[in-house]
This record gives sequence, C-alpha cells and structure tokens, in this order.
Amino acid sequence: MDESKLAERRAALLHAGALVSRSITSILDLDTLLHRTVDIICIAFDFYYAGVFLLDETGEWAVLRAGRGEAGAALVAEGHKLQVGGRSMIGAATGRNKALIALDVGNEPVHFKNQYLPLTRSEMALPLSAGDRVIGALTVQSVEEAAFSEDDITVLQGMADQLAVAIQNARLYAENMRLLEQATRRARLLMAAADVGKNVTSILDLDELLHKTVDIICDAYGFYYAGVFLLDETAEWAVLRAGRGEAGAAMVAEGHKLRVGGQSMIGSAIAQRHARIALDVGEEAVFFKNPHLPMTRSEMALPLVVGEEVIGAVTVQSEQEAAFSDEDISSLQAMADQLAVALHNAHLLRALEAAHAELVRTKTFEAVATATTEAIHWIGNKALPITVSVQRLREDVASLSGVEAEIVESMQEDLTLIEASARLIILVKEHLIGPAREYIPAPAMIEDVVKDTAQVMGIAPEAIHFTVAPNLPLAVADTTQLSRAFRYVLQNALEATEDLLTPRIDVEVDLVEEKEMRYVVTRIGDNGPGVNDADLDKIWASFYTTRGAKHAGLGLPACLQILRQLDGKVRARRRPEGGMVFELYVPAYIGQATHGPADLPAGKRFLLVDDDDVWSRFVEQTLTEGQNTVTHVVDAAAVEDFAAFDIIVVDDVLATTDSLTVLQQIARAGAAAKTVVVASSVRVERMMDLLRFGVRDVLPKPYTPAGLVERLRA
Amino acid sequence: MKEDVKVLLVDDEKLVLRSIEKSLVRAGFDVEAVDDVTAALALFKETAASDAPFDIAILDLNMPNFEGYVDPTAGLQLLSKLLETQPGFPVIVLTAFDEVERAKDAVRRGARAYFVKGREADLIALVERIIQA
Repeated sequence: MDESKLAERRAALLHAGALVSRSITSILDLDTLLHRTVDIICIAFDFYYAGVFLLDETGEWAVLRAGRGEAGAALVAEGHKLQVGGRSMIGAATGRNKALIALDVGNEPVHFKNQYLPLTRSEMALPLSAGDRVIGALTVQSVEEAAFSEDDITVLQGMADQLAVAIQNARLYAENMRLLEQATRRARLLMAAADVGKNVTSILDLDELLHKTVDIICDAYGFYYAGVFLLDETAEWAVLRAGRGEAGAAMVAEGHKLRVGGQSMIGSAIAQRHARIALDVGEEAVFFKNPHLPMTRSEMALPLVVGEEVIGAVTVQSEQEAAFSDEDISSLQAMADQLAVALHNAHLLRALEAAHAELVRTKTFEAVATATTEAIHWIGNKALPITVSVQRLREDVASLSGVEAEIVESMQEDLTLIEASARLIILVKEHLIGPAREYIPAPAMIEDVVKDTAQVMGIAPEAIHFTVAPNLPLAVADTTQLSRAFRYVLQNALEATEDLLTPRIDVEVDLVEEKEMRYVVTRIGDNGPGVNDADLDKIWASFYTTRGAKHAGLGLPACLQILRQLDGKVRARRRPEGGMVFELYVPAYIGQATHGPADLPAGKRFLLVDDDDVWSRFVEQTLTEGQNTVTHVVDAAAVEDFAAFDIIVVDDVLATTDSLTVLQQIARAGAAAKTVVVASSVRVERMMDLLRFGVRDVLPKPYTPAGLVERLRA
Repeated sequence: MKEDVKVLLVDDEKLVLRSIEKSLVRAGFDVEAVDDVTAALALFKETAASDAPFDIAILDLNMPNFEGYVDPTAGLQLLSKLLETQPGFPVIVLTAFDEVERAKDAVRRGARAYFVKGREADLIALVERIIQA
C-alpha cells in the first residue's frame, strides 16, 4: 500500500474510530452500548463481524456479550465463552492484555475456528482495559485476507480503550442505579413499617388489632398474604389469630397452628428468635406448603419479640420469587417489633380488663353476699319469737276444754308447720351470719380440727378414714369458723352416703404448693352418687340444693365464704371412682413461735384430760420440756385426787366420754376454779354449759407454745 | 313467789321483746319491758330507790346506744351503768348464737350469764337458777 493510500486508510480508520467513540460514550445501558458498538464498528470500518467479550466474575472466562448479526445473536444465546489465556485470539488478548492480529486465520495457531463465522480471513483481538485491569476484549473480523496491519492496531486500540471507558461508565451507572433503587426500596419499606406502626399502635382491642394488622401490612407493602400467629398458653404452639383475606379466615376457622421449633418457617422463626426467609418456597426445607396459599413464592417469617419474651410471629408472603432480600429483614423486623409492642399493649389491656372484670365480679359477689346476709339476719331476728310463740300456743291448745279432738289435732299440726318454717328461717340466718362474725385467725393443727369436728358430729369411726401427711406445718385459721366449714362438707358426705350399705368418708390432710403459696389442704371424699357436671358450678350458690326441700342449700356457700375469709379456697370435683371430693385449702403458717417453753409455767403439776392425739402430744411435750409434770388421762374416772394438780386442762371433745361429765367430777371435787377447758370450735351455748361448772375459762385450743402460754396465763 | 321477782327486760326488737315478756309473764314473773337503753336506765334508777326494785335484768346487746345510734355494745354500756348503780346486780345478756367473744366480754363486765336469743324456754330456767343462787 503506497503512502497516500496508507494515509487515506489511516484517516478513514481514525474517522471511523472517532465516530464509534462519539456514538457509544453517551450510551449508559450496558447491553445497548455493547450491541450498538458492534454494529457501529462493522458499519464504520466495513468489517464482516465484531463482538465484545467481557470477563466473568471469576476472571477466568471471557463471555460474549454482543456480536454482530445473526451469528452474534446465536453465539450470545449459546453462552459463547473463551478461556482467558487460552488458545483463542480473545483468550490470548485478554490473557496478555495485548492486541493480536491473525491475517490468515487458518495459519494462526491460537485462533478458534468458529462455525458461525466461516468467511473470516482476518481477525484482530483487542483487549478492553480499565487501567491495568483487563475487563474483556473486542474482536473485529474481515472477509479479506491480511485486512489488518500492525499500524491499524493503534487506531483500533484507541477506539477499544474508548469502548472500555464507556463500558466502565455504563457499569458504574448501573451500579449507581442499583444502589439508588435499593435505597428507594429500603425507604419505601421503612415508610411502610412506619405506616403499620402508626396504624397498629393506636388499636387497643386485641381482635381488631390482629385483623387490621394483616390488612395494613398487605396494603402498605403490597404483599399477597400476611398472617399473625400468637403463642398459646403452653408456648408449644403458634396459633394463627388473623390472616389476610378468605385464606386467612379459613385457616383461623380451622384453628391452624404450627409447632414452635417445628419444620415450619413460623415454628423455626419463633424458636430461633430471628427472621427466616424462603425465596423460592419450593426450595426451602422448613417451609410448610399451604394449600390455602398456592401462589406463594417467597415468604418471610418475623418473630414478635417484646423484651425477652417471644409472643408469636408474623408471616408475610409474596407471589414473586425472591421478593425479599436479607436487607429487607431490618425494615420488616422494625415493623414486626412495632406490631409486637402493639400486641403486647393490647394483651396487657385485655389482662387489665379481665382483672377488672374479676374485681367487679368479686365486689358484686361480696356486695350481694353482704346484702343477703343483712337481709337474712333481719328476717331471722323477726322469726326468732315465732318458735317461742308456737310453744306457748301449744300449751294453750293442750289446755283447751270442750273442743273436738280433731280440731285440736289440726291446730297442733298447723303449729308444727309454723314452727318448722320458723326454724328453717333461723337456720338460714345462723348459716349465713356464721362465717362473717368474730373472725380470729391463729396457727392451727388442721388434723386436730377436722377430727374434733367429725367427733362432735358423731360420725362413727368405722365410717370415716383419716390419712394425714407426716410433718405437716400449722395452718392459719379461725378454728371455730374452719370447723364450721368442715361440718358443712362432712354433713354433705354423710347425707350423700346415708343410703349406702358401706358408706365411706375419706379425709386426707396434705401439704400442697400452688403459685408460690403453701396450703394445708383437707380433702373430704365420699362414695356417694356425686354431683352432675352440670350442677358442679351451681353448688356454691346460696339456696341451691340437689337434695330436696329439707335442705336450705346454704352449707357449701357458707363453706366458700369461710374459706375466702381465711384467704384459702375450696374446690369440688367428682372422684374418678365415684362420689365427690371437696378440697379445703388453708394457708400454711409461715411464722415462728415467739414464745418457747421458757415462758411457760415451770414446776407445775398438770392434769391433761384428752384423747391420745396430735394435740395432747403437743401439749404434753411442751409442758414437760418446761419442767412441769403432766398426768395425761383420757377421762377423769380414774383420777382420785384432783387436789394433787395445780392446773387442769380439759379438751371439750373427748372420744370416750363427754367433757361435761369430766367437769362434773372436777366441780364435785372442788377443782373447777383451776380448770381450763379448750375447744377447737367454740359456740356460745356450749360455752354456757361448760362455764356452768365454774371453770376458770373456756378458750380456743392453742396450737403453738406461744398460744399455750397465753391460754394458761388467762 | 315468782310474782315477787321483778324483771327488767330491754330489747329494741319489739316482737322479741313482747315474746320474751309473754314467756316470762306466763312463767309468773313481774316483767317491765323497755325498748331503749335510756328509758331502761331511768326506770332502773327510779325503782332502785323504791320499795320494789328489780331483781334481775335481761338485756339485748345490739341496740341503739345512749346517743341513739345502733351499737353492738349498747347492751354492754347499759350493763355497766346498771352495775355502777347497783354493784352485784344480776344481769343476763341476750346474744346471737355465735357471738362468743362479746358474750364473754359481758361476763367480764359482770353479767351473770348470757343467753342465745330464740330459745326462751331455757331462759325461764336460767332466770330461776340465778334468782335462787
């Protein structure tokens, strides 16, 4: 080629190069840039083919990203790639960062014969570099043999460098756009989170909150589905409490629940306390395929955490694959945290409302009980004279003369009816007034109180069986009131078993702990017919009875009232083997006896008249430790000289005799004034009977050394 | 004999008052029934100086007191005033069936006995026993 033609060709190449450069530098989309580049190069230079390779992420392969014409399109579609540093022209150019020319490609050892480009006779491979770094290569091919000279390299390499800059610009632009989009998306998610937060925190009704929440989430984020699960009482199951749309309603109605720590996204998000993402749920091992939500392609499960406590989880689902990124977790978790606080607040409010309702119920019950008590007291007082009036009328009727016997008999019958009605009214009054009056709690041996009660009631020893746990603590109770409660329950048991061939009452005294409280519990069971489940709740209501008209139905309500007054509780249940069992819980005594045996009288001679039981053993031991002598007898028949004792203590309840008989003997011997009678349950009339013998005092039984000191000083 | 025994009966419950009065009268006692503590004290003081003083008093505990307010200790207050006027005077107090401590309080203040309302048949025997003692 002569000088002028050479100069002309170089000028044409430079012109074409400048044209290409100008055309491509303003293209910011990488694909457009590359495709336009290969077209412009071929048109400007009149080349058969041009193609742009870019290195992949590993830097090991040069991948064809754009090629001229159908051949180029076919090669791109095939994923045509050449190894960097390999035997191809492109491989060598990218490997060495150096342009290569093959003037007759058949002779060029590194050239890869390409079936799509059969006409190529010359090829130039130009590395594309950003600084020192190779980012790809440009191939230009001609149908002419020896189409390129070494001189052309400078011109075409200049154009390739421009292309490399344009590629870098397009890449930077794309990266900037990606970052911008990411920032925009994050801002949108945070805004949605704020929206959800703002909307849910003002809802205090739990059900409304749950249902609105799923709608708010779906609307704010444009999700296909959202659902809120809350832990059940056992904390083993997450129960769906609200779900979006018909699918949600159907699942809530089904009682849809997932096991915490189980295979589901929700189960594992709660157990692990962090968000789970399944981008294509088909691939996610822990995802529970849900027939109600067939369109779900991405799911995120976010734990609902308040402080240290997980209260449930929220699921959000999208129809798009890969709808969530790890970066979305923070904004969605922010939303879930707001939701958790709102749910927690609603929970607290509900608990507060429940507590308030309970308080109102209790106060109402108390008010009703008080009003009833006042009313019945009033009525009872009015009825008091009736029985006495009846008694006088009876005497008058008996003394009537000249009246037909039939009429007298009829009058007597009417008087009996009136008297029975009046007695029932008085009985009602005494039952209802009883628990409210003169409540004096003190440490007590429950075993002694229940045994005394059974004995006073005259229950045959063979019909009642006691089981007492060893080393029971004392309980705090007014024993007179507690004895009354035992009496009501034992009376029920007696009546329930009265028609049985082998009636049996079991009394078990035991220690139980409930909610950090210790109770001495007395279980009184019988083998009677029991109470129907339907009636079980009603038995505590005043005037309810399953036993016909002769019962006022006041025993159990009075029992309930007494146990409440004692800060205890009472429960009734059917025994699996038949019959009923009533459990009376009395708070265990946690204090210490303040006076030990040192405060007791010392060197005195005591006569203790009592059965050999838990109380008499306690008294004997305490007095003996206090350097007193104690003579313990079960009745006074064998006592020859009452004068030999300084103090006589008599238990009002004795198994083998009546304490009145004992007191008679004592009074006869002139020893009443040094006698103290103790009783686990004291009633006015009984006390009157006892005091009639001139005894020093009648006192509630002491169950601590301190109590004993106090009684003996009285 | 019993007609010579003069009983002061005090209870604000008029039906109870009349009923007990009838029982006592029927048993032969001379009864003055009064339904408030102020009138009862005045009557007691008046008769104490006369030649026909009361031999025994039967008092309810829960009544309007000397200020006119219902007070569970009104009977006890009257009891104390009667005994101030006449130390050792026999008094029986009427109580509800379970008022153990109040009943004992009455005895500590000097009552001879206490009696549960509604069982007046036994009251006659109690009055007789105290009068004879």
